[in-house]
Amino acid sequence: MNRQPILPPTLVLVVVTVSLAASGCGRTPAASFRPNLVAASRTVEPDAEAEKPWREWAGNRQRQVATILEAMFGTPDDPVVLPETGLDPAKIQLAAGPVRSDIAGRKNGLYREHCAHCHGITGDGMGPTAAFLNPYPRDYRPGKFKFKSTWRDAKPTHADLVTILNNGIVGTSMPSFALLSPAQVDALAEYVKYLAIRGETELALYTHIEQELEAQDSLPEDRGFLVDEILAPVAAKWQAVAEPSAQIPVAAVPAGIDFALGGDHPTNKESVEKGRKLFLGDGGCVKCHGPTALGDGQANDYDDWNKLVVEARKEVGGGLETAHGVSTSAMSPEDLAEHKARLEWLETRTRVLDGDALKPRTIPPRNLRLGLYRGGRRPLDIYRRLYTGINGAPMPGVGPSAPGGKGTVPDEDIWHIVNYVLSLPYDVDGELGADRAMAAKDRF
Amino acid sequence: MQSSTVNLPRIVAGTLVVVTGLQLCSGALVTTYDAAMAVPDWPSTYGHNMFLFPLREWLGGPFDLMLEHGHRLWGTVVGLLTLVLAGVCWKWPVAPAVRSLAVAAVALVVLQGLVGGFRVLLDSQTVAKVHACAGPLFFAVVVAIAALARRGGEAVRPSTPLAARTAAGLVGAAYLQLVAGAQLRHLDAAVDPRTFHFLVGLHLLGAVAVVGLGATAVAATRSGASRGAWGWSRAILFLVGCQIVLGGGAWVAKYGAPSALLPEAWRMSQPVVARSGSGAVIVTGHAVLGMLLLGAAVALAIAAGALARRPVAAAVRGVGKGAFA
Repeated sequence: MNRQPILPPTLVLVVVTVSLAASGCGRTPAASFRPNLVAASRTVEPDAEAEKPWREWAGNRQRQVATILEAMFGTPDDPVVLPETGLDPAKIQLAAGPVRSDIAGRKNGLYREHCAHCHGITGDGMGPTAAFLNPYPRDYRPGKFKFKSTWRDAKPTHADLVTILNNGIVGTSMPSFALLSPAQVDALAEYVKYLAIRGETELALYTHIEQELEAQDSLPEDRGFLVDEILAPVAAKWQAVAEPSAQIPVAAVPAGIDFALGGDHPTNKESVEKGRKLFLGDGGCVKCHGPTALGDGQANDYDDWNKLVVEARKEVGGGLETAHGVSTSAMSPEDLAEHKARLEWLETRTRVLDGDALKPRTIPPRNLRLGLYRGGRRPLDIYRRLYTGINGAPMPGVGPSAPGGKGTVPDEDIWHIVNYVLSLPYDVDGELGADRAMAAKDRF
Repeated sequence: MQSSTVNLPRIVAGTLVVVTGLQLCSGALVTTYDAAMAVPDWPSTYGHNMFLFPLREWLGGPFDLMLEHGHRLWGTVVGLLTLVLAGVCWKWPVAPAVRSLAVAAVALVVLQGLVGGFRVLLDSQTVAKVHACAGPLFFAVVVAIAALARRGGEAVRPSTPLAARTAAGLVGAAYLQLVAGAQLRHLDAAVDPRTFHFLVGLHLLGAVAVVGLGATAVAATRSGASRGAWGWSRAILFLVGCQIVLGGGAWVAKYGAPSALLPEAWRMSQPVVARSGSGAVIVTGHAVLGMLLLGAAVALAIAAGALARRPVAAAVRGVGKGAFA
């Protein structure tokens, strides 16, 4: 009988120590709002007239913007809600900060719990999981939202955000939060607005820098400028959608359409045929969705979020090519210094675009035969998508672009396109081109 | 009185395996529901002595409070039973290794309790990761005690060197998978997307390693190993299969179909529902099954003689003939 020690205590100790040390790897970074470096780096183009070295004033400017934003909006753990934003501080408190229950047993930190892993703590769509998801999570900072009941360029209403949170977005990684309490969903919608207003304020500051300031100038820090000139116009757009006029008008459904019956029902046949003609004609849908509605029209376009990065990459790439092509041998010391500063700036921008922006992806038009409608599958949802298009996406609207305007398709006729679109997933007799019938595999 | 037919260390260790398994389930559920801070104080519960917290508030309060407080209470059961096991191992004639492991178990359970407490007091994800990794380690130790106590301290018949090494590798790979999984489950929202990318890649590579080692273990224990080793290796391969399904399911339950990899037509026709019961079962099940896999790998390693100090190769060559008789 052998009673040898199988696991000596020293070995156990080593295993325990090494394992626990390994498990604690990757220290938790402090929660902080990430600066919009893509915008920041664009506005610090070296200037030969500037007194200080380029890096110095560029760094000072970025720090000043961060300080201003912290004073106006606080930090992720300790948000500041200025009355001018029109936001409800109680809701923001419920959604902000780390996940923990308060003394009343009410869970706080809802955004960190449910949203931040994809949308990022800053709402920049750069959460840890973002690179894996297609489409990328929404970057709230430009204040653009796709699925809403308001005019194309207008903000979504609070109810629109709540609807998206409750329904999720089918065909994407955006889940439905219908199992959360209405108060929690309400708080999350409010916090999304808070992040959007903060992001838009940051962009407004950089726009002001780009358009109004010389290289060495600092931003004014008085209330009149920061609140009245920068924040108030941003917040006003969010407050404006509370007015009924912000909602797009919805025409009455024409007689002879019954969405409950399906597109192949005799009642709807005439409407579906009208819709098909509009789809192929005045509606202009065919350009992207293709004659078969399989989404096989143009496929090389970007949404606004990706387009920004694509254009910045082009601009930086072109700048670098030009800069590298210049002969420096005959340059004066001043010109050489400016040339070097410019190269350094362009290389910094390249690093920023590589590290602080996701790799751009094109946005393919929807295959309408799959029956996946991201903005909602109700006829009203599709009517709204058709009427105003999709804000931030290449999808244009067929209705007027602003109140009092004229669209390419009369309002009531949009319902026929809706009827046609809703009939497509059930259209088994579709034709693929002129020469052959559509087979099941063509749909995918 | 010590009876020659009752193996008390094994009975207590076996009970502790079950009790610890339940604690791991509750811990995994706490993570799934982000309930760790549902009770923001420690060792008290909302100012009450933990053991005197009103039953009505515990069971009738928010779900996450029920989970977290239950996890703490069950943790004390695990701790007490570990002390009982150490006492039994001290009094009972067990192998020195069992005694050493029992001491390690006491140290680990105390450490784990403290780490759990500090996770709350510091509200730290880093401490949460350590807590998540120490739990399975404790479970592995308890399984080892139960497996060794069963034999009354006798060393096992050695398997082939390949089986022994594969089993040892499987223990390491299964544990590293749990470490990587803990990093993913306790992911801080402030980390860079590249970190998540790296962790997912690591976890997938680890899965490949576990599948490879599991298959090799089955092949290596098919002949020349004990029946126990053969049985454990087959069970592990089955669990690995289930774990792959659950792993894929856990991704889908959280993020939907992996849309960056699949054509649009493969996307789900319904959105994922956050905090759904089925999603919680799948995600939690993946974590728990990972821990069970680790326990099974430890049992296999012991059955295959991988943890024996006496070199297996020497025994096979006949140099140590009789050493395991």
